[in-house]
Formats: sequence, structure tokens, C-alpha cells
Amino acid sequence: MSTPLRDQKNFRVAWLFLLPNFLGFLIFGLVPLLLSLAGSFTTWSLRPAVPLQFVGFTNYIELFRDRNFYFYLYNTAYLMLGLPVAIAGALTLAVLLNQRLNFKQPRYRPGLALAAAVVGVGSAAMLWVSGAPSLAYILLALGVLSTLGFLFGSVSYRTFFYLPHFTAGAATILLWTQLYNPNFGLINQTLRQVYDFFGVTWEVPGWLTSTKSLLGFLPLPAHFNNGGFGLGAREAIMLMGVWGAIGGNTMLLYLAGLSNIPPDLYEAADIDGASSWQRFWHITFPQLAPTTFFVTIMGVIGGLQGGFEQARLMTQGGPAGTTTTISYYIYTQGFERLDLGYGAAVAWVLFVMILVLTLANWKFGSRRMSD
Amino acid sequence: MLLWQELKTLLRHLVMITLAIMMVVPFLWMVGTSFKPHSEVERPALLPEQAQPENYAIVLRRAPDPYTQRFLDLDFPKWYFNSLFVAAWVTALQVLTSCMAAYAFSRIEWRWRDKLFFLYLSTMMIPGLVLMLPNYQIMVKLGLVNTYLGLILPAAFSAFGTFLMRQFMLGIPKSYDEAAEIDGANHLQIFLDVILPLARPGMITLTIFTFMGNFQSFFWPLVMVKDDHLRTIPIGLLSFQSQYGQQTELIMAATVMNIVPLIILFVTMQKQLVAGIQLGGVKG
Repeated sequence: MSTPLRDQKNFRVAWLFLLPNFLGFLIFGLVPLLLSLAGSFTTWSLRPAVPLQFVGFTNYIELFRDRNFYFYLYNTAYLMLGLPVAIAGALTLAVLLNQRLNFKQPRYRPGLALAAAVVGVGSAAMLWVSGAPSLAYILLALGVLSTLGFLFGSVSYRTFFYLPHFTAGAATILLWTQLYNPNFGLINQTLRQVYDFFGVTWEVPGWLTSTKSLLGFLPLPAHFNNGGFGLGAREAIMLMGVWGAIGGNTMLLYLAGLSNIPPDLYEAADIDGASSWQRFWHITFPQLAPTTFFVTIMGVIGGLQGGFEQARLMTQGGPAGTTTTISYYIYTQGFERLDLGYGAAVAWVLFVMILVLTLANWKFGSRRMSD
Repeated sequence: MLLWQELKTLLRHLVMITLAIMMVVPFLWMVGTSFKPHSEVERPALLPEQAQPENYAIVLRRAPDPYTQRFLDLDFPKWYFNSLFVAAWVTALQVLTSCMAAYAFSRIEWRWRDKLFFLYLSTMMIPGLVLMLPNYQIMVKLGLVNTYLGLILPAAFSAFGTFLMRQFMLGIPKSYDEAAEIDGANHLQIFLDVILPLARPGMITLTIFTFMGNFQSFFWPLVMVKDDHLRTIPIGLLSFQSQYGQQTELIMAATVMNIVPLIILFVTMQKQLVAGIQLGGVKG
């Protein structure tokens, strides 16, 4: 069927279909990419008074001498320490969700759902009347959660786990800003009650107002504004990130991976008398290795660009710059110092790091697949 | 033995319920606080003693702030409209352009097709940060800063959407096109009457992804919007915090109104969404 005339016609038709998308791709993708590369070698500025001049590698040289750049790179890398926690948590949740959740006796399911609803609503009502509304609220929520859980099993649990990821954005960041309030935030209020209960007189963490960090015991350079060992703003952002990511897409990808593991592997392990711990480490975990590899690389690529919304909405990059990440630095260089050329140079250094990772991903990722 | 197994299942449920409640507690606190009067915000109780549902009316500018006796300076209802309006346009345009491009990349044979597609794919790994500064300059030159068009246009094209739709369309057997072609249909007819109806599950997935992503997007509107009447919810919440940062109960009422529709959307559409994420395995 392939004749030159037909080829030419196809070419024209294909381009008609492609044109709208291609124009957008050109104007908002390719052109800005080249512009930012070119701009990083100039004095490109939003200030009209600054003339546009070619300055060679000046921006890059300045960048490599910029002590703050290394500080912010450290912050970015430090925040990424939440990644292994989130991935391990996502794997745990996926394995838990993948367990058998339906009862052998079919009447138990509606029975327990009804019981949970009655007990939940009933005790909530009693507590409400007796003047403990907060406890009533929690019990009501528990009642609703368990009723739905017994009725719909893993689908409903998956929904609850996924909600923090799905709603992630400015609103949840503001919500956590309030939760972290050192005086009346939910987290420190709860901690104080726990401390009181055990009779200890520890100080509650300062969270978003503190420069402490879990690596604060290390002899870091002075301009890293190290506040010593403890829980500070970076831990707060990390914890919020783990909450948002643990039941998110990583968990869903693990669930898909789990359903693709051939059941006969487990049957063979059962014949050999393997414990569930051995089954996990010798079958489940190796079988999920491609997923783990994929989510790790994607997580690192995302993490290198991360921390912007948190810095802008929660901390303005502070206290003392400890929550300023590379992405927030690019933003402040461009839109606060109006120095687009320098911002573009930072962005390109970041891009090269991501590029190296992506290429490593392709190389090692494809090797893993062929194993 | 059977009873032991049933108990084990019950135990699994209890573990799941515990984990689920831990994920949900921040939302419970959010809803509780949104009903508190200002004087109760600093108390540890999750619920107010004296509920003040007027907080919602205050945020929606239906009632004055009881402390200043004035209406808020912020136009939350307008932000809501802006977010929906911009996200709806972006979604419609992006799904349309992505489907058209995906058709060219999957159903028509032409020279350089796969090379160009590879170029598309490779742009997916360019960080948005690299493009942000020059894109802003381009919008300045086009005179689109601080306009709806400036918010919509750059988001209306997507390599990811093209990729996702192409993957879906590749799964449609070629014989459908050939049958339609024998009946005398041209490419436009094949696209509209054969491929698009068959690619519907993919389009629904892309629609939700795009809509959600844009509804929640923060970066681009932050640099594009200067005036209050153009703010979308995420940007509006930022100014809300800087102006009324002490009034936690109002901020929480605003966040509830942002988050609850998302929860409803997710619960109703979750089947398609989960399948889409697991199939695409891409979007972060």
C-alpha cells in the first residue's frame, strides 16, 4: 500500500493532526529550553536598567563559588531522606492491602460492619451527651472507617490511604502549617499530653520555627546554620511529605506489581515450608525490584526539584535558610532578585543532575528488566 | 482452626483501620477547627464547645468578620470560579491536542514519526523549573501576563498527555481503521467516529489527571497572576495566609472548601484513576 503519493498524503494529514500540539511544544517547550540555556550565559535580568550582555561562564563560575548553593543543595538532599521511609511505608501498606481481608464465613462481613456502625455511632452519641465531644468525634470517625472497611475491604482502605496524596497541594500545606504550630498545633498539644502522662519534662520540638535537624550532630560548615540535633523545620516538611506519599502512587504501583507475581512461586515456597518473613524476602521483594527501582529513580528526580511549595507557603525558605531548596532558590533568584541569568544557570545545573540520573536509570533499569 | 483464621482476618482489619485513622486525623482536625470560634482555636479539643458555622459564611463573604466587623478583603468565591474555569479550559484543550497528536503518532504512517515522538518523550524529563523563567519572559512579550489566557495557554499542551493517549491508541486493533477506510472514511472521520470512542477510558484518565493537576497547580499561577480577581485557589490561599494568618479557623474553612470537592471527586472516580495510574505508571 506504500506508494510515494500515499506517503506524501499521510505526511500532510499527520502534520495537520500534530500541528496544534506541536506549536505548543515549540513555543512553551523547545524555545524556552534553548532560551534558558542561552540566557544562563548572559546578564539576563528583569530589571530594565541591566543591559543584556554575553558573559560566558560567569554565572556558572559564580554558582560554583556560591556557598549558599551548596547549603541549599544539602537541604534538598536532606529532605530526600524521607524518600526511603515513604517507599518502605508504601510497600508495607501494599503488602497489607494485598492480604486476604474477606472472612470465610460470609455472614461475618455485614455482621461486623453493622456492629462497627452501631458501636461507633452509639458510643459517639453517649460520649457527646456526657460532654466529651472530641472523643465522640474520633469514635464516630472510627465507626465510619471500620464500617466501610468491613463492607468494602481493601478498596475502602486504599481510598483512605490515597486521600493525602490526592488532596496534596496548597490547602494541605496550610493545614500542616497549623498542625505544626509550636504552641497550639495538634502535634505539640498531643506530645505535651503524652509527656505529661509519662511524667517527663522534655521540651516539645519547635518544628517550622527551628533550625535543628536529625543530622545536626554532624560538624557542618558554619553557613549551614546548624541548630544542633533535634526536630526542626526540615523534619516537619519531611514528615508531611511521608504522610502525603506513603499511600500515594508508589503504593498503587506496588499493588499492581504484587498482583503480577505468579502464585506458583508462593505455592512452591509453601511446599518448602517457608515462613511468611522468608516468603517476603525471597519472593515478594525480589519480584518487586523493578517497581522499587522505578519509584526510587522517579522519587529522586522529583525530590531534586522539590520543596518549592513548602518553602513558599510554610516557611519562606527559613528559618535561616534551612528549608530553602534548589527549586526555591531558582525562584527567588528569578523573581525576587530578578536575576534570570543566574537563576537559569542554577536550573541548568539541576537539569544536568537529573539528566545523569535519567540516563543511569535507562542503562541500569533496562539491564534489570532483562535479568 | 477456622476460628483462628477468622480472627486473623479480623486482626488484619483492625490494623488497617488503625492505619487509616492515622492518615485521616489531620482532616478531622481541619474540619473541627473550621467550626471553632477564634477564642477556641488554641484549645486542644478537636471540636468546638460553641460551634461557629458562620466561619464559612465569612470566608464566602456572606457575613462580616465578627472581630473587625468588616467583610474580608479576599474574594474566595471568585478564586473558586477561576480555578474551575482555568482547569476546565486547560483540560479540554489538553485532551483535544493530546488526542490529535496521539492519533498522528499511532494511527498514521509517516516519515520521521518515531524520531519526533522520541523527541517528545525526551522533553518529559525537562524540569519545569528550567522552562519557568523563559516562559515568563515569553508571556511578557506576548502581553499575556496577568490574564486568563496566560494561565491557560502554556498548560494546554502536554507531552505526557500525548504519550498516555498514544499508549491507549496503540492498543486499538488496526483492523478497525482499515474497515472504516474501506467504507470510504477519511482520517478525520476515523479519528472522530472510530478511535476517540474506543480511546474513552484513556481520555477519562487524562481528563482527571489534567484537571486535578491544574486545579492544584501553584507554580505557574504564582508568577502569572498579579491581581486578586485572577487568583486561583492555591494562590488565593497564599494571600489568605499572609493577610489573615492568625485566623486559623477561617483558613481551615477555606481549606475544607478546597479539599472536600477533591475527596468527593476521588471517591467517585477512583476506579478509573487507579487503573490509569497503574497502567501509565508515570505521573508523579
